[in-house]
Amino acid sequence: MSTTTPLPSGTRPTRRSQDLRSPEEVRAEKKRGRMGAWLILPGMLYLLLFFALPVVVLLSMSLFVKPEGGEIGEFVPAWKWDNYLIVWNAYWPVLVRSFVFALIATVVALLIAFPMAYLVAVRLRNYALLKGILLVLLIAPFFSSFILRTQAWKQILADEGWVAQGLKAVAILPQDGHLTATPFAVVCGLTYNFLPFMMLPIYASLDRLDTRLLEAASDLYAPPATTFFRVTLPQAMPGVFAGTLLTFIPAAGDYVNAALLGNNRNTTMIGQVIDSRFFRVVDYPGAASLSVILMVAILILVLIYIRRFGTKELF
Amino acid sequence: MSTQTGHAATGSDERATGADLILRGVSKHFAEFTAVHEMDLTVPSGTFIALLGPSGCGKTTTLRMIAGLEQPSTGTISIGGTDMTRLPSHRRPVNTVFQSYALFPHLSVLENVAFGLKQKKVKDAGARAAEGLDMVELSHLAHRKPAQLSGGQQQRVALARALVNRPQVLLLDEPLGALDMKLRRQMQRELKTIQTEVGLTFIHVTHDQEEAMTMADVVAVMNAGRVEQLGSPRDLYELPRTAFVANFLGKSNLMPARVVQDDGDAVQVDVAGQRMSLPKARAVSTSGDVVVGVRPEKMRIARADEEGFAHAANQLSGTVVDASFTGVSTEYLVDVPGIGQVGTFTQNLGQDPARPGDTVRMSWEPEYTFGLDREEDLEAGVMAS
Repeated sequence: MSTTTPLPSGTRPTRRSQDLRSPEEVRAEKKRGRMGAWLILPGMLYLLLFFALPVVVLLSMSLFVKPEGGEIGEFVPAWKWDNYLIVWNAYWPVLVRSFVFALIATVVALLIAFPMAYLVAVRLRNYALLKGILLVLLIAPFFSSFILRTQAWKQILADEGWVAQGLKAVAILPQDGHLTATPFAVVCGLTYNFLPFMMLPIYASLDRLDTRLLEAASDLYAPPATTFFRVTLPQAMPGVFAGTLLTFIPAAGDYVNAALLGNNRNTTMIGQVIDSRFFRVVDYPGAASLSVILMVAILILVLIYIRRFGTKELF
Repeated sequence: MSTQTGHAATGSDERATGADLILRGVSKHFAEFTAVHEMDLTVPSGTFIALLGPSGCGKTTTLRMIAGLEQPSTGTISIGGTDMTRLPSHRRPVNTVFQSYALFPHLSVLENVAFGLKQKKVKDAGARAAEGLDMVELSHLAHRKPAQLSGGQQQRVALARALVNRPQVLLLDEPLGALDMKLRRQMQRELKTIQTEVGLTFIHVTHDQEEAMTMADVVAVMNAGRVEQLGSPRDLYELPRTAFVANFLGKSNLMPARVVQDDGDAVQVDVAGQRMSLPKARAVSTSGDVVVGVRPEKMRIARADEEGFAHAANQLSGTVVDASFTGVSTEYLVDVPGIGQVGTFTQNLGQDPARPGDTVRMSWEPEYTFGLDREEDLEAGVMAS
């Protein structure tokens, strides 16, 4: 906030002049400070070993090159920036598709998750038992395997399934149409699998919502819809913000949904490409540069998003 | 039940715009209890009325029904002749100052105050909101967030946010409850001043009898979902019609009595063997068993053997059980045979009238005596106040 009143000059408390603590207290605080440093050390070490170092390895690998006549999987250091250009030219449509899929999944998940979170957190606030049961029901499916649940979507969307039959009956889906192995199926899978990441932060925000504010808005002539957009939604924004990020980022890099529910023509996502570059084609530099491109692209998109919608006060 | 509800005309007729608030047969039942029993209440435009009662007496529920935040189970609510009973709260010309203030934390102080004006599509909402802030002397904090304000400042923002809309009725739900005593007294004066200036109808819910008495033109004392008595603070204090009002509003000495003689304008009653006079106009019932009462400060006290003390007509004799000197006055507890303990006090005029163990005589003018129904629970409202 930029509205803090500046102190009149001369009364600005400097640490030394205001420090009325005894030497014992000063020592005790320094000791506490050292203790804090020791406590975060394991976490820092972990991140260094398993995050920072691998990123450095990834970055350097993206500039490696396969030596002439080298064996499969043998790469040598070389500042080969061309790697980026090559994979970009080959796969930029896949990257764009990944972001489009992730965006659609995020929006749909938001539209599904918000009313559910609202129902449980606000409408059922005074019904502890019902609220607990619903929360468990919403979370329980995610105790079973991710792969299994994604496979289940194949059955749900199968040609002989009731969804496809029903859509054909009302002529939304042509008689020779399919739902499986389509972009639709992939987006369905993404939406479903990342729903809890959307719902839980929104739930947490709405759970703290002071319903007396809604009464105050109504008392100040705001009809229900206005109250929602002017009071409820702003109060839920930290959750919406966290939920959309937690959904969009992993969804953009996901490959399981596209692999299980998609086809090899118009549903390929960037995660699949990176996967096949690494493990099938054994093109480590190509896979690494694609990964870096994905990381940077997500970083840029998220930064734009934070600048546009996020403020410090949200956190 | 002698519920004294009805038309409480008070000295504000010159401001009356016809927007009287009228509750007819309004009640509110929740699953297993009745928060408000069928209530009739007329609040003339421009009146400052206090709904006074202990917690759980139904005063806040009544307020919420007027605001439209609660739907009455029966009855109708109208303002200025327009039936509001079925109108949702956002369409009622009523604003509330909430006990919790309920300021929007994501909006600045100014945006909070402008909220209602913007909903009403008032053209110069920003300027009007700034004026409102000026009225509560918070212009310099217009761009702060509510969380950065003190409790008293938040309270004034809440007041400004409601007042700028110029509602026909302003509802105040214990708005001073969270403030410390000094700030509370200051805000009481400010609220009263503002109400006098703007001339709006104020309905102030409180459990603080002093607050109700000092601020309101009319006080409705509520108990167990009913209005026990309605009237000006002075009328309520001087002539309570129920034991609850007598005990909740100040203190009273209540004594079981029996009417023994009719004197025309007054009746003679027998109180534990002592005869006293009770004006008929001040009695709820004037025959058989009754309850008579008198406020402690209306009584004089002197040692029984004191010669030449100017006693009034109604008298009681007893033994001093306790005398506590508080500087300005001395408070006595006197045990009167057949009645129990009677409280009184004397102003400190330099005398030393009685000590514990002394036999004393207490007296008061008959015109200060009031009579209640014999069914009254003499202890009603003692603990609540």
